[in-house]
Amino acid sequence: MKTMPKMTQYYLSRALISAAFGGLFAITGTPWWIAALTGAGVFALFLWAPRSGRYAVSPKRGVTALQRDERTQGITDKAGRNAFVVMAFAIAGLNLYFGSMTLSAVPVRFLSWTLILGVLTYFATDLWLRRT
Amino acid sequence: MELKNCLRESRTQCGLTQESLANLVGATRQTIIAIEKGGYTPSVALALKLASAVDVPVQDLFWLEER
Repeated sequence: MKTMPKMTQYYLSRALISAAFGGLFAITGTPWWIAALTGAGVFALFLWAPRSGRYAVSPKRGVTALQRDERTQGITDKAGRNAFVVMAFAIAGLNLYFGSMTLSAVPVRFLSWTLILGVLTYFATDLWLRRT
Repeated sequence: MELKNCLRESRTQCGLTQESLANLVGATRQTIIAIEKGGYTPSVALALKLASAVDVPVQDLFWLEER
């Protein structure tokens, strides 16, 4: 808690981002209370992040007080690479399947699934490599 | 060969928590935990920072052992 006053810039900037996120939901037709809850949820994640142990905390950096260190940067790189490779193979597989079996273009909904597959791969790799 | 270390013992002798050591060397708490458990081999730069933070020569903090 000694670092709290120096973290003011970080917390203020994240409060603004959270409010903007909630505002984005509100102006796109989401009920105001869901938008407010979403904004509060995002801000809660920003409050938790410095205490999570996932980031190197450097209050003197102001709004960019949370940094990755060498290990977490390596994990992020590997997770991104795995997600890219999985998506590339999934898209290649879809193209081969639809090109050779049905002689048609790949439906858009299948491309959305490859995106979800990539995101899942990223987070699964991240969680797996962070286990200690 | 396996890299071993006595970071946990050296850290507690200095009265440092994992979080305070992480802050001292600019690493995450998860990284300190991983090094103490032997699950992560730090870079030379981080090993030197850790040795300096706990005031132990780096060759006494980290050493290689036959598996």
